[in-house]
Amino acid sequence: MAEAKEWVKEQKVNIEEILFDELYERARQRGVERVKQSLEKGIIYDAPLLNDVDCAMEIFSYPIARMLVVAIESDYLLRRYALAEAKRAYENMKNEGEDFISYLAKEMGIEVNGEKIHFADYLKYAPTWDMKWKLVNRELKNGYVMLSKNEVARLIQEAIRKKIYNELSYIFAPPEVKKVFRNEIIAIKSRIAFKDKRAKMKEVNADYFPPCIKSLISAAKSGINVPHVGRFTMVTFLNAIGMSIDEILKIFSSSPDFNEEKTRYQIEHITGRISSTVYAPPKCDTIRTWGLCYPDEYCRGIKHPLFYYRRRRK
Amino acid sequence: MNFLKRKFYSYYLQPHIEFPDRIERREYAFILFNEDSMHRHISFSSKEAILTYLKANVPAHAYYSSAYYRTPSASTMKEKQWMGADLIFDLDADHLPNIENLTYEETLQEVKKELLKLLSFLTEDFGFGKHDIRIYFSGGRGYHCHISNKSVLELGSQERREIVDYITARGLEIKEIVGERSIYKDRFVDKRIEIYPDHGGWKGRIARGIINFFKQIKSMEREDAIKELMKIEGIGKKIAEALYDALTDERMKRIEKGMIDQASEFRRIVKPLIKRLAVSLHSEADEPVTADIKRLIRLPGSLHGKTGLKVTRVDIDAIEDFDPLTHAVVFGDDMIKVNVEKPIKIKMKENVFELEKGAATVPEYLAVFLVARKMAVA
Repeated sequence: MAEAKEWVKEQKVNIEEILFDELYERARQRGVERVKQSLEKGIIYDAPLLNDVDCAMEIFSYPIARMLVVAIESDYLLRRYALAEAKRAYENMKNEGEDFISYLAKEMGIEVNGEKIHFADYLKYAPTWDMKWKLVNRELKNGYVMLSKNEVARLIQEAIRKKIYNELSYIFAPPEVKKVFRNEIIAIKSRIAFKDKRAKMKEVNADYFPPCIKSLISAAKSGINVPHVGRFTMVTFLNAIGMSIDEILKIFSSSPDFNEEKTRYQIEHITGRISSTVYAPPKCDTIRTWGLCYPDEYCRGIKHPLFYYRRRRK
Repeated sequence: MNFLKRKFYSYYLQPHIEFPDRIERREYAFILFNEDSMHRHISFSSKEAILTYLKANVPAHAYYSSAYYRTPSASTMKEKQWMGADLIFDLDADHLPNIENLTYEETLQEVKKELLKLLSFLTEDFGFGKHDIRIYFSGGRGYHCHISNKSVLELGSQERREIVDYITARGLEIKEIVGERSIYKDRFVDKRIEIYPDHGGWKGRIARGIINFFKQIKSMEREDAIKELMKIEGIGKKIAEALYDALTDERMKRIEKGMIDQASEFRRIVKPLIKRLAVSLHSEADEPVTADIKRLIRLPGSLHGKTGLKVTRVDIDAIEDFDPLTHAVVFGDDMIKVNVEKPIKIKMKENVFELEKGAATVPEYLAVFLVARKMAVA
């Protein structure tokens, strides 16, 4: 990536050329495509690269896509785009050798030592809401977590996503961008409005929540740092009964280290909004072993928190 | 000035405070005698300023923040501007089973066991060196473990939570740490479990735990072994007997190689074993405190207002030898008259005391301890 940046610099092209010159028409088209695909599909597909020109256009399409995303000024799009670019990088990494991946990791500031990574770096980037990524389920020895090549690539994906999101959150697009891509911007914006608007959810009645969920919500609302598994339980439950992401997010907003972007991303992941898996709420047994179960008189015979809610709401 | 405050004052004239690093970046908090509320958001710019405060106010309890702030004296988190925090583990007796039936000394002994387990996780799994870890007797009923290694300072609370989950085995999935193989034999399916004693993490820990457990059972007399097995929840006499009798030499050899032939017996013992191997930190409801990025901890070298004992550094290589009722005692041997309210037997500074209800003359150190614990009045 640093190399691509260097290469672009060496070509001595300026923004005007990229935006207006006919030579770069294909790069502009591909840039728009990158943004559209990330919005619609959540992933950016490979373009055929047959010769040097193709490669150059592909490279120039990247800054164009970034400018376009920034110009549209939608946090929803920005999140989708950052994730799609990161996923694309992940797909490409899968075919690369270990050396390249270690090199890339280093460039992203992750110190990979063979197939080992320091736990502090691991925790920064691992999707620990997924049980198999939780540190407790990992081989940790002398401060290092053992990972496969693909798992290292997955951590790099997350580092890239964060990096793109952070970079694009703090810059403004050159005003020309809005002119050049006027029609595309209008089209994409209307798609965002359509996609971002969630169907009006069913009425949620909090009185009938099981006691485990109630206590988690009140803990989160009063700013207590809820354990990870607790967050997972809460989010999957609230999602299953039809609460919207924004409403769920609100519950976490009084947490002492509330980070809207991070929290939203995690919620969207667990609820399948930006991933292929919708996680189901855990069973009562599991909640009990996590130490989050405080049963009341209605819990008798209940094996799953959703049954509790459904039964009592009737 | 009441008795306890007078004694604390005499200590704070020349205390042995172990100052935290980055003194001026910490928030300090104190609870004074005869007050319930905490004086918070205090900051100091030097060691001398802290000593002056202690002398002038003689607090019953003294704390500092595990976190570093840009402006530690600001009253909201936002204005304080969090910069990082030490990683702190707080081991307390409150939640341990049957603790109410134990004496103060026995209670501390139980917590020490948890401390040793914690240290094994911190050094072997997390790779912290002995110089990264500082251990303190809390002055009350527990131990604190401080880690200020550079790699952990900036971890957020979710990342810290992962560390706590690791040492307490919360969220541990058995299928992630053992292998399960189905072996097809004449149309029957035989389920086998493979364990990995040479691996790192919980994978290795649980494997070694299982092997040691079976070794221990095997080395026992039949009757004792069955009793031991029946201590495990869900194992009755019949199953225990069957388990013990099946544990032949050959079986034991296979287990040591990591092969457990019957998945069912493995399932019976694996969960209780995990519980024994994991650290029992706080009660589960309190546990978030440990993962917190902004908690207050007792100032090393200050006195604990409910015992009169000093928050005392414990040498990591001499934990077994540490005796709070000797090493955390700061007061002298002058004899003092007190009125004992409950009969008590206790060993302090190597002396055993057996006191009946009523008037007694005891050394100053015992007097302070009893008065602070509300077991006597001076």
